[in-house]
Amino acid sequence: MSEYKKIMKDNIWYNNPVFIQILGICSALAVTNNLINTLIMTIAVSLVTAFSSFTVSTIKSLIPRKVRMIIQTLIISFYVIIVDIILRAYMPGISKALGPYVGLIITNCIIMGRAEGFAQSNKPIISFWDGFTSGIGYLVVLIAVAFFRELLGFGTLFGYRVLPEGFISWTIMLMAPSAFFMLAIFIWIAKGYMLRKEAK
Amino acid sequence: MKDNKLYVVIFTFLISFILVFILALANEMTKEKVKINEELYLRKAVLSAMGIEYKNDIEAYKLFDEKIKIEKIKDIDVYKSNVNGEDVYAVIFVGNGLWSTIRGVLAVDRNISKIIGIDFITQSETPGLGGRIEESWFKEQFKFEKIIDGKIKMIVGGSGKGDFNHDNGEVEAITGATRTSESVLNMINSYLNILKNLLGGELG
Repeated sequence: MSEYKKIMKDNIWYNNPVFIQILGICSALAVTNNLINTLIMTIAVSLVTAFSSFTVSTIKSLIPRKVRMIIQTLIISFYVIIVDIILRAYMPGISKALGPYVGLIITNCIIMGRAEGFAQSNKPIISFWDGFTSGIGYLVVLIAVAFFRELLGFGTLFGYRVLPEGFISWTIMLMAPSAFFMLAIFIWIAKGYMLRKEAK
Repeated sequence: MKDNKLYVVIFTFLISFILVFILALANEMTKEKVKINEELYLRKAVLSAMGIEYKNDIEAYKLFDEKIKIEKIKDIDVYKSNVNGEDVYAVIFVGNGLWSTIRGVLAVDRNISKIIGIDFITQSETPGLGGRIEESWFKEQFKFEKIIDGKIKMIVGGSGKGDFNHDNGEVEAITGATRTSESVLNMINSYLNILKNLLGGELG
């Protein structure tokens, strides 16, 4: 199996940032009651992770060890602000809907984790791929959580009504605590499946 | 060499300079576009609060110029229009939400006996919770809502779907975002008061 394929499989499944490394949980709780916001947010995180990993890897030989983390934070925040500027100028509706969360992408531990854990010791292109697929791993889990939260909380998917009008929506699904339950159930199922497969 | 103090300082300075320079450039390049977007949001918010329908952004831009007059009363911009034979007045309200400043438009009839509509221009409340003040069901609740004793009341813990009885002077809070809903209501009530002074004094 090529290295790229292995990295992708690892990041999306065997070493998924959310349900194996338990990173990026704060945003998993916050944005997942609405599929559209979740999708935009996770795409933005994937791009920021990919580009910051790429940049860190490109200039890694120049970065002094003492200020390594500060430089990484600087690079990540640079890309986050770029995303914010692009959204504000070209997708004002989404920028409005996501509000403060775009700026908060910088607090997503996955990005720093990939820059520190992978990009520091690998080549730029593969670091880009690693960052991007980590973002996709994050996207997959968050979309799964958001799917159930939006469906049961509003009776809609991507804003379109799918459950009948008479459906009594589960208000708890709209609030942050439900993301804890959903995420825990998701981790339980995924890990359970993995362990069963390993035992065979 | 890489851990030499001078190198660390110069490197950090240089990289900060380059990144900030690019950001400043990007900001400068999109400034006009952002400004146009903001102006458009303001125009669209005023139109929809007043109940004037528009099909797209271009029409909204034009309709605003055609139908709405801006009058300065006591240093406050009051937007004036005639919708379906009725005079409608609107002001921009500003206040603190749960996390940030909320700006919106409040439109009322001539006697301030009912709200014609509300809309929001900027807000940074929690997406999916307080951010839901932008959803149409929440704003629809205020449409033609009767003002009783000069204010609107809020129901907390209602059906979660909204209160569409427009004669009771009540609207429902957003479940899970009671604080944001309350701040919106407080803003509206205080601006109802301001509007009363403005319209009562100069035009009454």
